[in-house]
Amino acid sequence: MYYVAKVDEEKCATYKCKQCTLFCPEANTLMFDDDRNTAWVNEPRCKGCALCVYVCSDLLKRDCIEMVMVTAED
Amino acid sequence: MGLKYIQPAPGFKEYLPKDYVDLIDFGPFGKEIDVQYMGQYKEILEEHPMCAGCWMAYFVRVFYAALPNPEDTIVLGTAGCARLALSQAAVPFIYGNYGDTNAVASGLTRALNLRFPDKTKDVVAIAGDGGLMDIGFSMTLHSWFRREKFTTIMVDNEVYGNTGGQESGMSPKGVQLKMAPKGKKFDKIPATELAKLAGCVYVVKLAPTNVKRMAKVIKRAVLAARHFGPTFIHAYTSCNIEYSIPTEEVLKDAREREKKDFGFEEYMTDEVKEFFEEIEKKKEVKK
Repeated sequence: MYYVAKVDEEKCATYKCKQCTLFCPEANTLMFDDDRNTAWVNEPRCKGCALCVYVCSDLLKRDCIEMVMVTAED
Repeated sequence: MGLKYIQPAPGFKEYLPKDYVDLIDFGPFGKEIDVQYMGQYKEILEEHPMCAGCWMAYFVRVFYAALPNPEDTIVLGTAGCARLALSQAAVPFIYGNYGDTNAVASGLTRALNLRFPDKTKDVVAIAGDGGLMDIGFSMTLHSWFRREKFTTIMVDNEVYGNTGGQESGMSPKGVQLKMAPKGKKFDKIPATELAKLAGCVYVVKLAPTNVKRMAKVIKRAVLAARHFGPTFIHAYTSCNIEYSIPTEEVLKDAREREKKDFGFEEYMTDEVKEFFEEIEKKKEVKK
């Protein structure tokens, strides 16, 4: 089981702000897809710090990211 | 290094690991990618074992994204948390003995100037508060006195983070740590003031809260070191483990410290100021 960030892509695409990708402490982990206009998480690299949730929910009040438990099968 | 060393020999690309191929196809080498595009290209920093939510790891990420010339840069580090990430990037990394970062960087800068007199090679020493201001203090200061042309970056987590939590010269006065239960008795070492006195031509103190400003400062420090003399950045990079900061609140903590005692300060000599003004004018003309 891993604790990782998950982006609500539909909601994220309405903002396209990319702020979370600039504040993730890990490189190549929280990415932005230009075609779909949404952030997405490279889950095997996510360490589950939830900083992106702080940026998206506490600072920007956009609530597009939540932390979820995933298993290897997911 | 250099650009030609990054490109694989013809026919070999298909046998290389995916991360390396991505770096060739979508990486920053040979391009000038603005730091605001982080998350939209393959960054040169790879996976590393630094703690979840570590603000020092974040600084290292921005540092590598902001380097003006990563293909011709050599990074030096010493024992401490930062080297865990510094060594996991597609930039040559030298791991010195504890505290000798700036002595090694001095020799390396001189050697590169002799070996590649017609090329630009950047040297950056990046280490923690223990490596630069405690154990490596004399070598740090003496490299500045000698006006060695390289950048020194102190990632200050205010503690010896990966040896159990001993106080360092940069721990704030009065702070109690696991291995310093009585509380620290004296103030933080005034690192930026020492840097100015010792002859650094560009000195900055910052908390990593503004990514564009961080990138600008890192670029400026490297460029000023190329032409004028030693440059120094003092960055607050909290240790969320030893200071018990919840991982999701490290940015909040950095913002609070920025308001309290880590407000942004930038010092440069007149000649450096003139140099940056010229560069910025040229950029405006290009636009």
